[in-house]
Amino acid sequence: MIPSVTLKPLFWHPYIAPVEIDAASPAQRDAMKVTPSNQKISEYVRTLVHDPESYVARTALFNAIMYVEGGLDRADRELGALGASIVNGCRYCAVVHARRHVQLAESDAAVSAIYFDRADALGSRDAAIYRFARRLSVTPSEATPEDVAALRAAGMNDGEIIDLIHAVAIFGWANRLMHVLGHADLNK
Amino acid sequence: MSDAIDQAAGLTPQDALYQTRRLRPEFVEGAERCRQSVLTPDDDQGLTADVRLALAQRMAAQNGDAALQRAYQAQLAQRQPSAALLALAEGAQPAETALAAMACHADLITQQPIQATEQHIRLLEQAGLSHPQIVALSELIAFVNFQTRVAAGLRLLRSA
Repeated sequence: MIPSVTLKPLFWHPYIAPVEIDAASPAQRDAMKVTPSNQKISEYVRTLVHDPESYVARTALFNAIMYVEGGLDRADRELGALGASIVNGCRYCAVVHARRHVQLAESDAAVSAIYFDRADALGSRDAAIYRFARRLSVTPSEATPEDVAALRAAGMNDGEIIDLIHAVAIFGWANRLMHVLGHADLNK
Repeated sequence: MSDAIDQAAGLTPQDALYQTRRLRPEFVEGAERCRQSVLTPDDDQGLTADVRLALAQRMAAQNGDAALQRAYQAQLAQRQPSAALLALAEGAQPAETALAAMACHADLITQQPIQATEQHIRLLEQAGLSHPQIVALSELIAFVNFQTRVAAGLRLLRSA
């Protein structure tokens, strides 16, 4: 019997000074969507908005990959994000997306198995997703045709596998921002 | 229209997978806009496109992606790069301080992001990079690692 993992939310602290709202350029203000009623912008957004063009483009792509309707279940996308975040060492992203997975799956069984290093106890579909996510996240990729065959055997079609590839890949991106530009802990 | 990821994954409009990819136009168009935003942005923050392409070629090679490596090599060649940038693109360690720091950082974050610490950001600052340049470099590194994983996944899906 695997116990239930308790995952407290973490707070992220940047290694470089975030952009101050008062000092932001017009492009940065547009990117952050600063309005009279929206003055409280997170440190994460204010750090990345040092380069507003990439911030705007990435945010649109990230939201599409994680939230677009249809296709792969949202819980499965979160599991892909979690596998990538663990390989890439981004504790902050791992906790955020583990918690989302618990909400969406309405169970903490899969996340508990992963956090207690019992991936062998995952159901076959979760195991196939988690294994593919981990192996695609290594540099260079270690994912194999057998890993894709396991996804198909779990009932996923090519469109759903494309969704999963993107969920894993966008965390190859997000983890390389969050874990590189700052650190996470329990202190606000 | 075929894009950088199709070309990297070897997909043509005749492939079923090319069409399946188009069922997510927001992924296809979004990735293309991101590519432009990190390789040839309107405001390059002082990190010129030739430096960005040279780093991208180097990171594609570290990801074992020969197709993307060649694509970046061809784009770099069109910009009359210096000998130093060509060497950087091929994986050599540059002599110039800022280029050396960027190459070293790109190598680490591409291959072992789990090893990243605050000290690695301080090294970029000490090499003279501004905060906008550090963020722009981070987005470039992260994008190439996104792009190589999408291409690797699509190649597997096509063959398996």
